[in-house]
Amino acid sequence: MITNRQAFINGFWTNNTIFVQMIGMCPTLGVSTTAINGIGMGLATTAVLMGSNVAISMVRKVIPSDVRIPAFIIIIASFVTVIDLLMNAFFHDLHKILGIFIPLIVVNCCILGQAEAFASKNTIIKSLFDGIGTGLGFTLALVLLGSVREIIGSGTIFGYNILGASFHPAITFILPPGAFIALGFILAGVRWYNEKRVSPIK
Amino acid sequence: MPEFIKMGVILMIVATIATTILAATEEITRAPIADAKRQELLLVLKQVLPKGFNNEPDQDTLKLSDQSLDRKNKPVTFYLAKKDGEPQAAAFVVVAPDGYSGNIEILMAVKIDGTINGVRVVSHTETPGLGDKVSVTDWPKSFEGKTQTNTKWGVKKDGGDFDQFAGATITPRAVVGAVKRGLDFFVANKNQIFSSADTK
Repeated sequence: MITNRQAFINGFWTNNTIFVQMIGMCPTLGVSTTAINGIGMGLATTAVLMGSNVAISMVRKVIPSDVRIPAFIIIIASFVTVIDLLMNAFFHDLHKILGIFIPLIVVNCCILGQAEAFASKNTIIKSLFDGIGTGLGFTLALVLLGSVREIIGSGTIFGYNILGASFHPAITFILPPGAFIALGFILAGVRWYNEKRVSPIK
Repeated sequence: MPEFIKMGVILMIVATIATTILAATEEITRAPIADAKRQELLLVLKQVLPKGFNNEPDQDTLKLSDQSLDRKNKPVTFYLAKKDGEPQAAAFVVVAPDGYSGNIEILMAVKIDGTINGVRVVSHTETPGLGDKVSVTDWPKSFEGKTQTNTKWGVKKDGGDFDQFAGATITPRAVVGAVKRGLDFFVANKNQIFSSADTK
């Protein structure tokens, strides 16, 4: 059995959706043109993950395994719609930026993946920690990727100009190809860091 | 109870609970969403309309349809700005179908004397960093104060007065064309736009 802390760390770093599992790439590559978009999308996904993980963990003993996938999809889609409506009502500006990407959280496989792999087998509290960890890990990846693309592609970070007027932005980085290039370098960096961290123990 | 009926019943219960929650959330958020949308509309209207109007332009509207405003003849809403009941200007959305990718929607406000007061690109799918300069830079300001006659309508490349961008001529050309069509329509139908609102 794993502890709450392990559930969190596992979701946040060891089994990070983007860096390690490499699932949920569609919203990742789509919204990460700026760091602030990354934060918004990441936190919305975290909220959905927390809600859906807890709800699925609660009903895990009632739902027969044959119909669990449709049941999970209903639960996840409901949470996404609720978040979509709430954001539209109370954070209208952010909702305008994230726009079509919010409904897409439904098809982000990291959420169904986490429901299937974790929440349907673990207690409510552990599932909550797993949801928070996975969500924040996803947010970290999005913010990292968003920052890199924003700095190189527009010369700004969180909307502030940091590289001065003489900097000529590489527009490629806010276009789709830049997302792949930047993600590739970030993945390489994460692998390198993990290897370096592990190797002395060997 | 046979297994398949049990499954169906359980799915039905899950769906019922989910629907109830969704209906409740929709009920709670309906008013705030409508309000946020209205505030947003008023905000952009204030940006393009001349200062000093004291009516509610989003309440004082009329719909007209014409091919020069929208290719598919979809009715276009005219938001009227009035000061003490005296019409001052109208704001409306024109669609440029000939951008680089997809439609460009442009909100423009014209004063009653036929001068453009403000132009703002409200939605587009142009290339970020190239064509999207029509919405993220001060470029739309170059329309302010323009009339049908005091300017050469077109981008500089076509012999007009409006700047194009390095690497992006199609987008500004489409926007200039759409604004010109909107202005022509406004001037030609000015009386209709303002008179029908009085009878309302």
